[in-house]
Amino acid sequence: MTTLAPSTDLDFYSEEVILNPYDTYRRLRDTAPAVWLERYQVWAVTRYDDVYAALHDHRTFASGYGVALNDPLNEKMKGSALVSDPPYHDHVRGVMGGPLTPRALRKHHDYFQERADALIDHLLELGRFDGVRDFAQIFPLSVVPDLLGWPAEGREHFLDWASAGFQALGPMNERALRDLPTLKGMWEYMAEIVRPGRLAPGSWGAALVEAAEKGEVDKQLLPALIGDYLVPSLDTTVSALSTMLWQLGENPDQWRMVREDPSLIPNVLNESIRYEAPIRALSRYVTEDTEIGGIPLARGSRALMVYASANRDERHWKDPDTFDVTRSNANTHVGFGHGIHGCVGQGLARLEGHSLLNALVRKVARIEVGQPTWRVHNTIRAMTTLPVEFSA
Amino acid sequence: MDIHVDYARCEGHGLCEEVASSLFRLDDEGELVTLFDGERVPEGYEDDAMRAVRACPVSALRAQ
Repeated sequence: MTTLAPSTDLDFYSEEVILNPYDTYRRLRDTAPAVWLERYQVWAVTRYDDVYAALHDHRTFASGYGVALNDPLNEKMKGSALVSDPPYHDHVRGVMGGPLTPRALRKHHDYFQERADALIDHLLELGRFDGVRDFAQIFPLSVVPDLLGWPAEGREHFLDWASAGFQALGPMNERALRDLPTLKGMWEYMAEIVRPGRLAPGSWGAALVEAAEKGEVDKQLLPALIGDYLVPSLDTTVSALSTMLWQLGENPDQWRMVREDPSLIPNVLNESIRYEAPIRALSRYVTEDTEIGGIPLARGSRALMVYASANRDERHWKDPDTFDVTRSNANTHVGFGHGIHGCVGQGLARLEGHSLLNALVRKVARIEVGQPTWRVHNTIRAMTTLPVEFSA
Repeated sequence: MDIHVDYARCEGHGLCEEVASSLFRLDDEGELVTLFDGERVPEGYEDDAMRAVRACPVSALRAQ
């Protein structure tokens, strides 16, 4: 018996779907384990178990041919940790990921906590502020670039670069095309910043440049590898921290519970990343004929791993559309991806989130939030603004 | 059941310890320590071991 592949002309990247994604994701999950998106010539994989299994089968679902939905970016990113396969991948991830492992980050704990305490004190003085600009963006825009060794100049471009980088990870639609000049500007800047002596001595960035000098990594790849540090550390973390603050404000009873039991802190961050996955989806290249839940996928096709749908799959989660800091399996989310390409900066993201939550728990009794406004973006689920008021 | 730890992939995220603290622990340096002899999981702990394999965010644990 031949199974006819389910297919749809749904515009997965329309403004409407981007702003209100979860009904569409549920329809896709209920239609079939894999649904062909005609407009983008890609299989949408939307159920938790299937996304998890594909991410852990990196031979069949490869990253080395790119994870974006367009050829130019896939070509451009080849050789980065994100766009590579073992054994090369393991080498390059080891070199760039070394300083980002939780064990390497231990020595920075006090530094992060001091910065977090100072930030929350400052926000308490302000009283009312914007949760995106004044809270969520602060660590990603300052602490991370400091550790990377980035000089003072050029930082004003970071948010635009990150946004453009992630736009291009989707299809080459109008949004991505509009941001392409920004992305080109970033590549030019990256080529300049990796010249010896530009990144601060002793920093992560300088260590990578030294590794290239010693021949441990290809010098040609330095701009892509520095980009690997910087771009994914910004919008994603900003998104997770904004969601966290928004939902803690929306659920004062849960905030009270966290204050009474700070051991919930790791789960708060997990649940925030589950609830609004910062990265909607990335794709994989199918290296041999395979199937997902009985739907045949041909060698040479592309499969979109819809993290944001897997994180709301009712087959895996109880009450998936409810934010719940006590959710016992919140740490099984795939918001960081999973498997050998699992987010290389997840330890850093946790350190940022936990430090901020730790400061919040000690200092902020009430979090009041207004209505967020949402960005229309190919890859990032994120707010533009979030009115917040803190009281001690 | 055997559990193989790929120490080159292990980054010390500690999710194995979160879901199976009787089998895995991060030491004071953040290095992963297995709390069983060799690679053989003690009888009765197979489910915990599988939970840890599934939880590892970077595929550093393999069940055999």
